[in-house]
Amino acid sequence: MEKELIRLADIAMQFDGEEVLRSINLTVRDKEFVTLLGPSGCGKTTTLRIIGGFETPTSGEVYFDGECITNLPPYKRKVNTIFQRYALFPHLNVFENVAFGLRIQKLPEEEIRSRVLEMLALVNLKGYERRSTDALSGGQQQRVAIARALVCRPRLLLLDEPLGALDLRLRKDMQAELKRIQQQLGITFVYVTHDQEEALAMSDTVVVMDKGRIQQIGTPEDIYNEPQNAFVADFIGESNIIDGIMHEDRLVEFCGRKFACLDGGFEKRENVDVVIRPEDIDIIPYQNGHIKGTVTSVTFKGVHYEFIIDVDGFKWMVQSTDYRELGSEVAFIIEPDAIHIMKKSEYSGMFGDYSTYSEAYDRDIREFDGEEPQEEKQYEAEE
Amino acid sequence: MKRFNRIFTVAVFIFLYAPILLLVAASFSSGTSLSNFEGFTLSRYSELFSDKNMLGLLLNSLIVALISSVVASVFGTVSCFGIRRLGRRAQKTVMTVTNIPMTNPEIVTGISLALLFVFIGQMLKLKDVMGFWTLLIAHITFNLPYVILSVMPKLNQLDRHVGEAALDLGCTPIKAFFKVTLPEILPGIISGGLMAFTMSLDDFVISYFVYGPAFTTLPVEIYTYTKKPLPPKLYALFTVLFLAILLVMIVMNIVQARDDNRSRRNKNAKGEITLTRI
Ligand SMILES: Nc1ncnc2c1ncn2[C@@H]1O[C@H](COP(=O)(O)OP(=O)(O)O)[C@@H](O)[C@H]1O
Ligand SMILES: [Mg+2]
Repeated sequence: MEKELIRLADIAMQFDGEEVLRSINLTVRDKEFVTLLGPSGCGKTTTLRIIGGFETPTSGEVYFDGECITNLPPYKRKVNTIFQRYALFPHLNVFENVAFGLRIQKLPEEEIRSRVLEMLALVNLKGYERRSTDALSGGQQQRVAIARALVCRPRLLLLDEPLGALDLRLRKDMQAELKRIQQQLGITFVYVTHDQEEALAMSDTVVVMDKGRIQQIGTPEDIYNEPQNAFVADFIGESNIIDGIMHEDRLVEFCGRKFACLDGGFEKRENVDVVIRPEDIDIIPYQNGHIKGTVTSVTFKGVHYEFIIDVDGFKWMVQSTDYRELGSEVAFIIEPDAIHIMKKSEYSGMFGDYSTYSEAYDRDIREFDGEEPQEEKQYEAEE
Repeated sequence: MKRFNRIFTVAVFIFLYAPILLLVAASFSSGTSLSNFEGFTLSRYSELFSDKNMLGLLLNSLIVALISSVVASVFGTVSCFGIRRLGRRAQKTVMTVTNIPMTNPEIVTGISLALLFVFIGQMLKLKDVMGFWTLLIAHITFNLPYVILSVMPKLNQLDRHVGEAALDLGCTPIKAFFKVTLPEILPGIISGGLMAFTMSLDDFVISYFVYGPAFTTLPVEIYTYTKKPLPPKLYALFTVLFLAILLVMIVMNIVQARDDNRSRRNKNAKGEITLTRI
């Protein structure tokens, strides 16, 4: 395990009395790839800006390499940032953009030249030195921003939704490329995104945030398999979340039945949230099942079908490679290792029922999530 | 229709430029009045350039125009940063208030400034307040809106994160301003400053109320001439002035055109983002 590089100790942040972050405690280790994941407006950018030195927290401290840097201005921090919309210098060409940080350090011209060229090669922009930055595509501008930050050899790189403006395919390519660069240079990354797939694919550690608070910190597998509350379970992938009662260790009751499970450590007869992932449910012949219901929606997803199944008014999402007809009666069984038990939280009852589910609605939400610029404009004027 | 349009356009151009062409022609004519062109001569120009008094007045005008436009450019730019920090509504109000002096009749501005100067002069028990300083202050005052008006849009276009990126890469705030922010808004400052310069150079109305006998500008002095027959060397002077202003305007247009070009390309590139693969 590498040693600690950055630590946020009990950070709180208020803008005009409005609480934006509360009790943020986070440790980032050297060479780690940490992702802050959460819906738009949950405080990811603010957290990043506190690490970068662009905001001073209302309370709490920031430690870098064991040293308190809470009040250190950005230009004295060994941290570089890739801003949400690149923020390249429009009056400088590609070479000069990348050379900017080195010129400020007053390095000899020869060293500047070789380091800039080396960095442009790393991000596949060889031969673009003399181009004006406005003549580049979005993906290329992104690469210039990456080169400009990395050429300064920071210990820590902060990235704020760096791929947010790119189309899907380009985004996948850049994800792989960023990961390659991070491993090749051995730099610590703190990465912000609202895209859960991106977070799971790239990170060593995922920090799930909502309403200015950290909901869970863990490896991508932990976050997916062992969500701590209904918010995390719902935000990362699809989940059915059902009210249950824990009778004893490894025995839980829901849907009027008792099920064996693998979790324990709860009070006797404690009310809990039960999470079951749609892909962990097996559809079986009607007469053999524990839980019986009617198929109310079928969607073909390529690898599998996605069914919405109505069981006494609660709508389950089930994914299966076997086709069932709309309106057919089906049953399913749930194996002990498919059941994950969570303590009740403020999010209980808000997620995990697919009654109001529809594809179009889901898509709208995603698109809305991505729409950041407008919001940012609003408070820009209020500064 | 098309032909009509063309004729009309030519007519408008003749209408606009004929008087000036006539003036230029007159400055090279050896006749004594505009009605009799006799021969080509440069004597008007040599008369002009040997007239110490006239050149002194021209110098006065240039000094006032230069200082007032530079000072207005600096103050105007700084106040733009202040205005940007206001809330959206306050910003709008301030901009409107800033623009009023431009549409305000000059005679009103002139008289109110004169009243103010006299008032302050009395408070400070000064004799002869009117002079160089009052003239300069008045010119700075009416120049400011032109600068603000042309810098503000540049500043609004500027990505807030560009300045932060400079800090991120090791610039102190001052360095970030000179290395990144200033180059970005410079076209706005230059065109605002040039506009202010030309406004100041030919201002008569406001200057008339705030000048003192010790310091006069060219337009004010010439106005007192018009009552008598104009000495022909003035034609030469006007021609020189016209060419000078023309030059300033051409420079301003080039600056703006280059800047527009860049913004347009910038916009195109942004629009492509979702379409282009590397
Ligand atoms: N400078 C600011 N002034 C006032 N409110 C702000 C400011 N920056 C962020 N906020 C508010 O803080 C909240 C979190 O914002 P942000 O950190 O940008 O979220 P995210 O990056 O997760 O979308 C939002 O409600 C936003 O309106
Ligand atoms: Mg953000």
